[in-house]
Amino acid sequence: MDMYELAKKGLKAATDFGAEEAEIFIMENHKTSVDIRKDEIEGAKENISQGLGIRAIINGAVGFASTNIISRIDDAAKSAVSSARVRDSDPDWKSLPSNGDYPEVSGVLDSELEQMELDDCISRSMQMIEGAKSVSGIVVTSGNFSRSFGSRLIMNTNGVEIEESSTGISGFTDVITTGDSVSTAYDFAVSRKNDIDFQAIGKSAAKLADNSRNAISIEAQRTSVILHPFAFSDLLGNAFMPSIDANNVQKGRSNLTGRIGEDIATEKLSIIDDGLLEGGIETGRSDDEGVPSQRTTVLEKGVFRSYLYDSYTAGKDNVESTGNASRGSYFSTPSVGPRNFIVDYPSTDIIGDTENGVLVNTVIGAHTANSISGDFSVEARNAFTIKDGEIDKPIKSLMISGNIFDMLKKMDGAGTDTRKVGGVVTPSVRIEEMSVVG
Amino acid sequence: MFGVDFFDSKIIEGTTTSIVLDNGNIKEVSVNYTKGAGIRALSGGSWGITSADGDFDLNKAIRAAAELAQGMDERSPKEKVKMMEVPKPVVDNLPKVKIDPRDVSLEEKVKQLSEMGKRADLDGISSVSAVYSESNYKIMYSDSTGIEGEYDITRTGFAVSAVASRNGIYQAGRESRFGVTGYELFEKHDALELAESAAKTALELLDAKPAKGGNLPVILDPELAGVFAHEAVGHASEADLVLEGSSILENRIGEEIGSPLINVIDDPTLHEYGYFPFDDEGAQSEKTVLIKDGVLNSYLHSRETAAKLGGTPGHSRAQGHSRPIVRMSNTYIDNGTSKFDEMLEDIGDGVYLIGSRGGQVNTGEGVFQFNAEKGYLIENGELTTLLRDVSLSGKILEILNNVKMVGDDLTMNSGRCGKGGQLVPVTDGSPHLMVTEALVGGA
Repeated sequence: MDMYELAKKGLKAATDFGAEEAEIFIMENHKTSVDIRKDEIEGAKENISQGLGIRAIINGAVGFASTNIISRIDDAAKSAVSSARVRDSDPDWKSLPSNGDYPEVSGVLDSELEQMELDDCISRSMQMIEGAKSVSGIVVTSGNFSRSFGSRLIMNTNGVEIEESSTGISGFTDVITTGDSVSTAYDFAVSRKNDIDFQAIGKSAAKLADNSRNAISIEAQRTSVILHPFAFSDLLGNAFMPSIDANNVQKGRSNLTGRIGEDIATEKLSIIDDGLLEGGIETGRSDDEGVPSQRTTVLEKGVFRSYLYDSYTAGKDNVESTGNASRGSYFSTPSVGPRNFIVDYPSTDIIGDTENGVLVNTVIGAHTANSISGDFSVEARNAFTIKDGEIDKPIKSLMISGNIFDMLKKMDGAGTDTRKVGGVVTPSVRIEEMSVVG
Repeated sequence: MFGVDFFDSKIIEGTTTSIVLDNGNIKEVSVNYTKGAGIRALSGGSWGITSADGDFDLNKAIRAAAELAQGMDERSPKEKVKMMEVPKPVVDNLPKVKIDPRDVSLEEKVKQLSEMGKRADLDGISSVSAVYSESNYKIMYSDSTGIEGEYDITRTGFAVSAVASRNGIYQAGRESRFGVTGYELFEKHDALELAESAAKTALELLDAKPAKGGNLPVILDPELAGVFAHEAVGHASEADLVLEGSSILENRIGEEIGSPLINVIDDPTLHEYGYFPFDDEGAQSEKTVLIKDGVLNSYLHSRETAAKLGGTPGHSRAQGHSRPIVRMSNTYIDNGTSKFDEMLEDIGDGVYLIGSRGGQVNTGEGVFQFNAEKGYLIENGELTTLLRDVSLSGKILEILNNVKMVGDDLTMNSGRCGKGGQLVPVTDGSPHLMVTEALVGGA
């Protein structure tokens, strides 16, 4: 059965069982991946997955069911309706989205990726290993290549009907040094197009691990800290993004409640949530419940401008959805999630401009940050001292702690190295006066 | 058959129901029906792996995996992989379900969760969320050597978290219980009492002081010490990480790597959340002693790593129909003989770290970082100031060596562990531990 017929069948079943409104979300995905282990290609995976989720609404109560067994679509519709019946009516529920005017997007579907043969997948995986082996004394402990193509259909009883297809490709390399002084490092890249330099991923991870050997200890101090896009995006995602999620704001779990229009960051910093970015990892014509994608200014020259909404949280605040409904899979209900999250700050040669400081490539433990207060205390990895505008010595063990909101105020530089770390698009940033414990 | 050296399949079929309560309202009731298979084929040194969703043709899926494996082996030939032969698993230790959660009405479960929400809604609490989940799955395994087995498993659990706020300060408290059990979980644990306790933790943390960092003597409570056992010792013992060169425990079997007071065990036969009768490669589950009296005794193995390094398989697990990898089950530091009071007396001044908000470990370099839920300053053997945002980091082997006292109050905590993008149910546990020196971090 094709996706449209299946969706129509599901909607009919749900309304027949008593749903006043209903929505079907169908996902199909084809993924090929290659795993690397200890300098060798270990194997390949082909995963063809499909599934559907049904939301049924009765008197302002939403029920949900999902399945990957297409023949059980009627059971799923029935379960969604029974789930709705055990809930009280939610006065904040407005309605499912109605059909919108969908913008065009580009750079998300690449036929080369759709047609990529196993041979090409293997040779790209080999390139990561070769790149890493171009640096001596390096072992690739693990790595992964993947390419995928898939489509998603959203149909509801209010007239929404949107299907989108997209492709993706990614590479990841994790390395360790051999010999007495052990250090590790990783690098990765993700794209919607066939434009990744796989050799460069391996080489950059290997160089970083190699440069991290023979590390020194440093004294506890307050100093300038430069955070690589990997480190900064990790902290932003865990300590800042939860506070702009309208659901957290409405539930009293945000530090930014009632602070729209306030100066919360340095005036040089702007942040845009962009569902339309050309070739963006989170780009699409609509969000995961069929609301047209848009660009939302979150931070404009340091001034906090907007929370991110899906249609439910928007209805509750009597505003329009910002197109930020997100589902991890067909078996999850939508919740608020960022799209392409773009950090904008004037770029300079931030390492060259730094007399004394610390460079941190990645952090571990960012998920332990306090998502409400923004406080964090994390272990920095592949960290280096900076002296007179140059990277000086690797640092053995370093904890950095602080508060994400203080950081946004104390940001005093950004590099020219903007990259896509999943949906977060950011350069390296420099924060003055951060606390580091060696 | 299929022209490969080995193949196997795991079919999983079942239903999950979950209910989410948010600020007094039921936010979500959802049901998922799922059926799928994970299939592996081995040709020479290459694996071909496929998965199938819904109503699938098993032979067709095996053939696809076999073709993938053969294709890979032709294009990048390498050393042959051996799979250790295992006897047919015996399923005789399944936990008994007293109250099948499917026999309890959705209304009853919604009511239970709503009451938990009410109980946690104390003065000063700004938000409460709670989750209930149940799952019933049938697992069927078979391989090309003739091994086959199947079992049904029921898992039930709940979690509640409360946030307290005052003058821009937010603090959270959380309690959860999950197990391989039916709805009788609510008879074993007083969910309402736990909901209130989560709220009280959040409230008391509003008045807690930020910790001051430094190298200090510490006492770890059973929950945080359990996280250490799991994250720092357990992961480094996984033989796949050892083989790829990502573990500091490589080539150290038989060596003393920690205080002789330390015994670390992984036991999938215990009726805790990480239980399984046989693993996802058909290998019988059994208790494995990782560290015995401070000496590294064994790694955790799959059939592939056991054949390569020598060892006993039985720790290969997969989330759903993903690819099985080496995993823990119920991991704990075994009881010692010390009492908590003796630790306080011995430590004099230091920090008592309680609970866990998660952590991360780099097994290759042997470093870790965990955040405690809260802590107390210990002054003159007395617990004094309550601390928040307190973390612990350092080197795995240094901590193991610095353990001076091991308590006699082993407690287990359930959760889910992520590795290679897959989550599986686990428990970890420990008694109280006293450590002479560790790096404590603060805000």
